[in-house]
Amino acid sequence: MRKKECIAMLLAGGQGSRLGALTRKTAKPVVAFGGKYRIIDFSLSNCVHSNIDTVGVLTQYKPLVLNAYLANGSAWDLDSPDGGMHILPPFETEVGGEWYKGTADAIYHNIDFIEQYDPTHVLILSGDHIYKMDYNEMLQFHIEKEAAMTVAVIDVDIKDAHRFGIMSVDDNMQVVKFSEKPKNPDSTLASMGIYIFRWDVLKKVLLEDHDDPNSSKDFGKDVIPRLISQEQRVFAHRFDGYWQDVGTIESYYEAQMNLLEAEPAFNLFDDDMRVFSNSNVFPPHYIGKNATVERSIICNGSTILGIVKNSIVGTDVSVGEGALVEESILLPGAVVEENARVIRAIVGEEAVIEKNACFCGGNKDHKIALIGDKEHFVSA
Amino acid sequence: MKDIMGIICTNYNDDDLNQLTEDRALASLPFGGRYRLVDFPLSNMKNSDIRTVGIIMPYMYRSLMDHLGGGKEWNQYRKVGGFFFLPGSIYGLKTARSKFLLRDFISNRPFVTRGSGDLIVISGSNKIFNIDYRSIAREHEASGADVTLIYKRSYIPADSGELFLDINDFGRVSNIMHEPDGDACCFLDTLIINREMLLNYLNWYEALTYLDLMDTIAETLSTVKVFAYEFDGYAGSINSLKTYMNCSIDLLDENVRDELFIPERQISTKAQDSAPAKYLPHAHVRNSIISSGCIIDGDVEDCIIFRDVIIERGASIKNSVIMAHTVIGENVCLENVISDKYVHIQPGVKLFGSCDNPITIEKRSNI
Repeated sequence: MRKKECIAMLLAGGQGSRLGALTRKTAKPVVAFGGKYRIIDFSLSNCVHSNIDTVGVLTQYKPLVLNAYLANGSAWDLDSPDGGMHILPPFETEVGGEWYKGTADAIYHNIDFIEQYDPTHVLILSGDHIYKMDYNEMLQFHIEKEAAMTVAVIDVDIKDAHRFGIMSVDDNMQVVKFSEKPKNPDSTLASMGIYIFRWDVLKKVLLEDHDDPNSSKDFGKDVIPRLISQEQRVFAHRFDGYWQDVGTIESYYEAQMNLLEAEPAFNLFDDDMRVFSNSNVFPPHYIGKNATVERSIICNGSTILGIVKNSIVGTDVSVGEGALVEESILLPGAVVEENARVIRAIVGEEAVIEKNACFCGGNKDHKIALIGDKEHFVSA
Repeated sequence: MKDIMGIICTNYNDDDLNQLTEDRALASLPFGGRYRLVDFPLSNMKNSDIRTVGIIMPYMYRSLMDHLGGGKEWNQYRKVGGFFFLPGSIYGLKTARSKFLLRDFISNRPFVTRGSGDLIVISGSNKIFNIDYRSIAREHEASGADVTLIYKRSYIPADSGELFLDINDFGRVSNIMHEPDGDACCFLDTLIINREMLLNYLNWYEALTYLDLMDTIAETLSTVKVFAYEFDGYAGSINSLKTYMNCSIDLLDENVRDELFIPERQISTKAQDSAPAKYLPHAHVRNSIISSGCIIDGDVEDCIIFRDVIIERGASIKNSVIMAHTVIGENVCLENVISDKYVHIQPGVKLFGSCDNPITIEKRSNI
């Protein structure tokens, strides 16, 4: 195998339990976003645009839909003969089999996979953020600083800082202190969960961490503090673009509603760093004779016969005659039957809002209505 | 069932489409918002589990090659079988109407002799329909036919350039004509032929290379068993600007879409990964097909809009086909227009064609 400068390991095994019904049947990275995309598309597309051609995808929670979606990686040009995308589920060894117990443990169990490529650096990603980033810039920074490890950070509002892992840095951007969700943050640089390690450093620290019975085997909680305590060269690389964690229903909803702005914070239409997806082969969408579509995003394969306003309509969705969809997200394959009303709601994949039903969330400060994949909602 | 392989002929004379085929073959003419004409025969072959497809290439093949690539989308990127690109020849005067030039088959005879299929589906690339060749192949075998021609019963004007079949009571073809005779059985430029019989034709007519394969079949109807198979779904045929416009507008009919875009037999095409279409606050779209990547803030009615088209506020587009990457400025009015790719229409421009005579706008023009 040819030696690689940098390979990526993408953590895609988490449940994303705060997304409720949306992750009842699938893992969070494969939840639909922005109509035609799935959350993992953003990280995978970033890899290919950053010329990273070897990606290990670590799976664990309900991986079937994710596996089928990733297939051989060709949708992201990751079906390379030397490298490419590899799905890495937990496996059994001569001493028995175990689940991945944490993010660091998942990488620990795949040390042999990484060694096959003999990389100089390893990029650790998570498959649940919305952003476009050239990892090469971060890698160049990491190399220039001769860092053992580099963490991507983003400036957050001081009042939100308690929700993140916060990095305190010196003038040279070297991390002097890391605090996970601090009550009284002394910096606004939040970790984005994107790390580049020198492979020899990572391997050593993973082995140490594995042998530590008090460790929870997590990068944020255990590995980074361990490196800082060892006075290793840990640096923070500042990212200025859009980055959004969509871990809750509210942030998932708001991030998509923002796409409807005339100049959205996150621009899907920007041609450089186009986001790739394993797109289907549906025909273009059809807008009916009596339909109205305003300030919305509509995907291929959909048929709109009713009214759609301020909404995101995924692939292969049907909105019947007389139906009204407002301020809502219809995931791929959803059906809104004739004269039904869907307001401030998220309708799961292939879910059906039956004729004349009213599936509505509350106004701005109230909850967003949510129905899971393949469920039916009937008129009361 | 015997193994089937496919041959798609894309080497056509396409002068009747004016600028639309100036720098592309008819087979790669954009159609239906995201497709090219060749997607239909190719998808039919994919959906019929045909794993070896020879494509007789046109003289101008840049655009077609760009679209076909390695054939991944049609399941033809394979170790065994897959795409075979077969060079086509330059047209002569005598062959202006030809679709299956005999000399293109003769010069590519090794593809036919070496292929694994005992049956060969030969298809043109200007007809739009969704069909499963396997059921026809079963009938072909059961009937003991050498050749089965696929046709559709429909009204087609006399000077259409189509071929018409006379069929006897036993389903056998008794005549192949250039003019319809009463109840028109229009040949869909698609046939199934036993490989041995195709090789026979290539041997018998080796010296008459200006002929079309259909001429040779017509000459041998009394000795070769040529049967007909009626297709009853939607079939569109494109050989002029008017028929291109008509077939495009046909897609606005729900029944046509249902017969063309069948979930179990999807039409595959090269994926472009455009963003979804975005409708702005002043968008007003009725009875139209809109593709991904469009940004719409104007009025659109009875139109086919391809990928990545921008329609600005106050623009009004009716009964038109707007191809990919077109920018339509504010307050532009278009009616009965076919606009090729990468066109830029400046604010306030007004263009009105008629149904029978749509205005075409050349690729990359700025108006």
